[in-house]
Order: sequence, then structure tokens, then C-alpha cells
Amino acid sequence: MSTFASSPLARTLWYILKRAVQALVVIILIAVALFLVFYMLPANPAQLSCGKPCTPEQLQRVSAFMGTDQPWYAQLGAYMLGIFAGRTFGTGASAVVCSAPCLGYSFRLSTPVTTLIAQRFPVTASIAIGAAVLWMLVGVSTGVLAAVKRGTWVDRLLNALSSIGISSPSYLIGLLAIIVFAIELPLFPSSGYVAFSTNPLEWLQHMLLPWLVLALLNAAGYTRITRAQMVTELEQDYIRTARSKGVPERRIIGVHALRNALLPVMTLFGLDLGALLGGAVLTEKVFSMQGLGMLLLDSVTNLDLQVLVGSTLFAAALVIIANLIVDICYSLLDPRVTLGH
Amino acid sequence: MKKKSLALTAVAALTTLSLALAGCGSSATGLGGANASNGSNTQAAPTKGGTLTVLTSGTSINLDPASSQNLATTTGGMIHRRLNEWKVSKNGDAELVPDLATNTGKPSENGKVWTFTLKKGLKFSNGQPITSKDVKWGLERSFADTFSGGLSYHKQLLEGAQDYHGPFEGQELNSIETPDDQTIVFHLNQSFGEFDWVASLISFSPVPYGEGKNKDYGTTPVTTGPYEVKSNVPGRELVMVRNKYWDASTDSVRKAYPDSIVYKMSQDSSVAAQQIMAGSGDGKTSMLGDLVPPAQLAQAQANPAQKALLATSGDGALEYLAINNERVKDKRVREAILYATDREAYRTAAGGEIAGGYASTLITPGISGREQYDLYKPGKTGDVKKAKALLAQAGNPKLNLTLVATSSQTEKASAIQTALKRAGITVTIKTLDSTVYSDTVRNAGDFDLAISSWQPDFPSPYANIAPLFDSSQIGNGNMNESHYNNPEVDKLIAQATGTVDKAKALKLWAEVDKRIMEDVPVVPLIYSHNTFLRGSKVANFMIGTFPAYPDYLVVGLSK
Repeated sequence: MSTFASSPLARTLWYILKRAVQALVVIILIAVALFLVFYMLPANPAQLSCGKPCTPEQLQRVSAFMGTDQPWYAQLGAYMLGIFAGRTFGTGASAVVCSAPCLGYSFRLSTPVTTLIAQRFPVTASIAIGAAVLWMLVGVSTGVLAAVKRGTWVDRLLNALSSIGISSPSYLIGLLAIIVFAIELPLFPSSGYVAFSTNPLEWLQHMLLPWLVLALLNAAGYTRITRAQMVTELEQDYIRTARSKGVPERRIIGVHALRNALLPVMTLFGLDLGALLGGAVLTEKVFSMQGLGMLLLDSVTNLDLQVLVGSTLFAAALVIIANLIVDICYSLLDPRVTLGH
Repeated sequence: MKKKSLALTAVAALTTLSLALAGCGSSATGLGGANASNGSNTQAAPTKGGTLTVLTSGTSINLDPASSQNLATTTGGMIHRRLNEWKVSKNGDAELVPDLATNTGKPSENGKVWTFTLKKGLKFSNGQPITSKDVKWGLERSFADTFSGGLSYHKQLLEGAQDYHGPFEGQELNSIETPDDQTIVFHLNQSFGEFDWVASLISFSPVPYGEGKNKDYGTTPVTTGPYEVKSNVPGRELVMVRNKYWDASTDSVRKAYPDSIVYKMSQDSSVAAQQIMAGSGDGKTSMLGDLVPPAQLAQAQANPAQKALLATSGDGALEYLAINNERVKDKRVREAILYATDREAYRTAAGGEIAGGYASTLITPGISGREQYDLYKPGKTGDVKKAKALLAQAGNPKLNLTLVATSSQTEKASAIQTALKRAGITVTIKTLDSTVYSDTVRNAGDFDLAISSWQPDFPSPYANIAPLFDSSQIGNGNMNESHYNNPEVDKLIAQATGTVDKAKALKLWAEVDKRIMEDVPVVPLIYSHNTFLRGSKVANFMIGTFPAYPDYLVVGLSK
């Protein structure tokens, strides 16, 4: 008689719990590393908020207000505590309150980091998810086509195109795409972002060019990996058996071979999508979209430690979650794979 | 035809990319030929109406008068009036004119007390009358720890300011008196002849009494200028529309031609410049808020129609070689460095003639009181013989100097290195990240030479000289990068600062300029030029003698 503890559901829950604890440890380690690195930088963030000119007394006041006069471990402790209990900077009527979960406060932008992330994430998600769907569709289908037409001109052409895609820097392709398709032939807006909730059509118009650019570049890798996996799978015994049993070729390719070939593709997809959701820096920069990538970049340039830590932790969490989802998808794609084993 | 155009476009984009990746920060890079036009005379006359677009790479625009460092003639000036304003012109020096006040301020008690009287009938964008209490409140807010970061000259000058932490707990700053709604009196801790200029800074803009407690007040503040803020979304867009309570008859500076002004933030400068030059989208009615990137500048220079859209400032910010006086103590060695420096090679590295004019004084062109002089006359390429002779007098020390530079200064640093080598001075270039560079030069002092530049926060000799050479400005991120500490000069600065009689003060400042150069704490290199870009329908796009930025207050659109 099977108990709940040994049931697949319990194993899955236990697996997710273990991964969540691991993720928490990773996130804490990232936070510690960021604070350490930042503390070692020969620069004082308070100086940027001190005003011009800046007296030693004024600098001291600003440092105390921002908490940067404390040792790094005290700053780290206050930061971590703020995630659960919230934080208050300064006192009295003009004190700055950052409610829990407080991932930090940007003194430069006068906004809590959680609000910044909430504002920026939809931009990055719009870019990443749309582009990911496109590159997955294009990459996998061209990969399958190249494998099926192995050795023909189609295969060679796709191989050449994917080489170009892999070796092209996204900043260059982005700039070229804007100059050609937004400035010379004004088919798309050159820059900016319109929220889906504001105007879905304008949202789509603004997203198409970044999607196409990102998809063009990323699909190349997927074409290659899908082709390689498909070629391997199509040479397996079970495919030969299926063919000898008269299973239609379309079913052999589309169901039997592709399903197995997709496993490593899914892993790559999870990692890529997770990383991209954490910020598509170059794409956001060239298309003037204020997503998480630009937030991260600005925080480094402006010594905005709390934004840097907050958005990095958020990005790290996204990668971890994406990986977890991939693992769960693995078990769905391949019944032999069981979570926790 | 179109194919050819696209191919050219692609080449331009590739050039853009390579230059962008090379990290060229200057707007003038390797172009040869100068464009000294500070606003083309071919511009059509501006008319009332329309929407002016400003394309900027900035990701947020802080409009809080307490924490903003905006110049008086750029964004902040369009929404915030202050006690005094700057009137810039193409040829003459920048002039101080009353803005909210009836005159530029009346000094008494030898410049320790300054009294301003407000014009009558002035209103905020919310319809509330502007009183002296609002000006006082605005200044008091800037002392709250929450709102630090702005132009803080007044914080060093007002009596009792050291211990003041803002008005939000009910405390007032007693050194600002408001005997009636029109009058405001400032009590200073020292005689200060240029307090009228200080009163032109954005921190002297009123905030309605009791308002602005929240840290995000600067996103959509209550305004006093011709525009109010309709929306301000960081990273995306700032929209300014007309302030119906602004009375043009009380404002001698702002022309307020456009009906609305839209700032599009987070723009890639190269893409924005292409858009303006091509006139696509809003390009014709847009201006670039940033310096023109090198690739687009080269492109525009080669095309007469696009060249007409450029405006290049005259001699502006002082670019200088800071010599760390705490480490290079012998004046003869510093003088030898000056003679060995090849300013022509430096200017070539900076972009050629368009990069700027040769500098010899510390007070920059466009600022009243500047006297043109050249104490050493080293010539454009330097005088190596003289440099060697000075080093011989100093006992031929074995000099191995560290020149710190950011990645965007590499070529300029190499020009200095090569020039100094001619006199037997070895220079090691240390390339640093800009943050580390700032800390090294403005705090730690672990360097011998550094390339820097300075444009004062307001057009006065005080703002030109004191931040760079007063010993109180060493460290804490301040600009005395040569770590120059001469008590005699400190005294002279204090004397010139405390002189209320303008003519006498300007004469004193000219003397201070020369006295400092006698010690050679820095080597003046060039007065740099800035180049900006406008759309073909942007009119009155003009750069005055100071500051080296377009005067936003007078820009309009043509039909």
C-alpha cells in the first residue's frame, strides 16, 4: 500500500522545496558577493547625492541618511532585514519609507526597488517572451528541416545562415534594423515602449522589431542544436523500427524523434529565457526601452547599490524559477524522467 | 537609388557602432574642419505653437529644485523661475537679470545681507500666489537630508545653515527673513559679492509653502515658468504643457514658443541623431539633448543640408591637465610640464579644430571679468628647450609620472605622454573606470597628472575659480583636483568673493586668475566646444557664449 510520502506528488513537492532552499542559499550568496564587491570599490555612493559643492559635514549627513556610513555587513544585514520587515531612511515627516518586501530604495530615482522592478519587468517580459516564442518556432522548425534535408543545399543554406546569426552582435543588428526599417523605411517605430494595457496595437508595433532582431540572432543556436539532436535521434534503432512498422514519416519526425530531440533544447531555452527575463541589456539600450537590463546598467553607472542588488536578486530568482520549470517540463516530455531522481 | 542609400546607411551604422564601441565620449573626434556656427543664421523664425521634442539618453529627469543640478537655461529653467535668471547672447557675456525679483538683489552690510523684492501678481501653476515664504520654504527644503544632491552654494553661505536639517519638523532657517509677502532677506556668514548669481540657481525656485514633503516631489512639481509638468515617467517621457498662470509680461528671458515640450528619454544618441538628420518621425521638430555622437557628426559635416542643423558652441569649458601639487611640489617641474605640453597634439587627439580653442587663462570666455593673458607663452606645440632648462634648474629629477585617465581619454592621454617624453619626462598612463577615476582624482589623490574639464555652475569668476583652486575644495568629491593649497590664494579668493563692488571684484578675480597661474597648479589645454543637433523645423536654436549648451528658453518651431 503506497503512502503519500512515496507518491509522485509528494516527491515532486519535496523536490520543489529542496530547490527553493537551494535557490535561497544562492540568492543570499549573490547578495553577500555584491555587497562585498561594492564595498571594495573606491567610491562613495553618498558623494553622488551630496550636492555641489559638498562639505565634509554634508557628506557625513548624506552617508548617515543612506546608511552607507555603516560597515558592509551591517548594510547587508539591514538590507536583508528590509526584505522581510521593510525599512525607513531618515526620521520625521520627510522620512523615506520602503515597505516590505523592501528590495532596497533608489535615492537617485526616489523610488523603492520593488516599484522599479514592477515598472520595468513588463517591458523586459514583453521583449523576452515574444522573442523567445519566435526564436523557438523558427529555430526548432529550421533545425528539423536541416536534419531531414541533411546534406542538401537546404541544410547548407540553413547552416550558413545560422553561422551568420550566431556571430552577429545584437547591438549592430539592432542599430541596422532601426536605421533601415524605422528611419529609412519607416515601417516600425524606432524606439520606445507602449504598455499592452495602454494600447495593444501600439505595443505590438513597438515590439515587432526587437522581437525580430532577437529572434533572428537567437534562433541560429536553436537551429544548430535541434539539427544535431534530430540527426542523432533519426539514426536511433527505435526510429528504424518505427519506419519498418510503417509509421508515417511525418509522425516519426514530428512525434518520435522531435520529442526526444527537444529535451536539451528545452534546457537551453529555460536558461536563455530566464537570463533574458532578467534584462535584455543591449536590446533595451538600442531600442530605448526601460526594462530590467537598463535598470541594472544604470545602477552600476550611478553606484546605486540597492537597485543593483535588488534587480540582480530578482534576475537570479527568474533564472532559478525558469530552470525549475524546465525540469518539470522534462518529466512531461519524457516519462522516464522523474523529479527528485 | 534606394539600394545605394540603404547601403550608405548601413555603412553609417557600422561606423557608428565601431565608434560607439571605441568609447568616444567627445562630440568632436577626428573630423578636421571646424564648424564655428553657434546657431545657423539660416534658421527660419520661430512661431508660437507646436510640440518640440527633446531626444535624450538620460533615463530620468529630476525636476525638484532642491536636488536638481540643472543649468538655468536648460530644462529646469523652462518650468522653474528663480529670483534671478541668465540672459545669454551669441556674442556678449552672459548677463544676470531679475526673474521673480524686481531687481537682481540689493546687498548691504558689505555683502553679508542681501534683499530681494518679488514682482507682484506672480502665480504658481496651481493658481496660488507666489510669496517670499514660498521661496524661503523651497530653500529650506533643500536642507532636509531627503532632498540633498542639488546645487548647494547657499548651504555654505547662509548663517546657521550647518546645523539646519530642513523645515519638516517645524524649524525655520532664521537667516532667511520674510518681513512681508514680497520681500526676502538673506543673512550670510561672510561677505559675498556674487550672491546675486547664486540666487539664479534652481535651488532659489519657490515651492508652495508646506508642500514637497515626499521624496518624489521632483517628478511632477508645482511650477512657476511658462510650462507645467503634465507627466514624467522615468525612462520614457516627460511632457510639459503651457502653464496658464505664467505671465509673459513679467518674464524678460523665456520666449515659450512651443505649446508643449516632450522629452523622450533613454534614447540611443546615435539612433536619435539619425532620426533628426533624416527628418523621420518627429525628427524635424526634435532637438538632441546630448552632444552629437562622433559618427553622426562626421556624417553631418559631409552633407551641407545636415551641417546646417548643427550648432557648435564657442570656447566653453576649460579642459586642463591637473598636476597633483601634493606630489609634484617643485614649481619648476610643474612649469616644465606646461612648456613640454603640446596643446596642438592634444587638440588633434580631441578632434581637431572643432574640439576647442587653445586655453591660457583659468576664467573662461563668456564670463564677465575675464582678462585674456598668457603668462608663459609656450606656443601651440610647447617649448621643449625651456622645459629642459627648467628641469635642469630643478636638478634634473628622474620623473616618472602617473597620468590617470578614463577610457574615453586614452588618445588625449597619449598625446600628453608623447609630448612630455620630449623633455625627458616619463608618463605612465593608468586607465581607470570613470567612478574609480573620480575617486582617485577627487579623494584619494593617488596620481600625478589627470585630464579634467570644468564649466562653472553659473557664469561668474567665483564659480570658475573657487571650486578648482580654493583649498576648502580638496577631497569629498570636490573639484580641486590639483590638490592646490596656497593660503595666499585662499585669502585672495576670499577677498574677491567678499567684494561687493562689481567692477572692483572683477578686477580682483582677474588678478587671482594670474596669481594662481604663477604657481602652475594646472596646464590649461583648450576651451572645449560642444556640438548639438536640431531638426529642420526647430528654430532659434542658439548657443550663447555661456553656457556651452543651447538656450532652451528661447527655442521654438518654424512653420
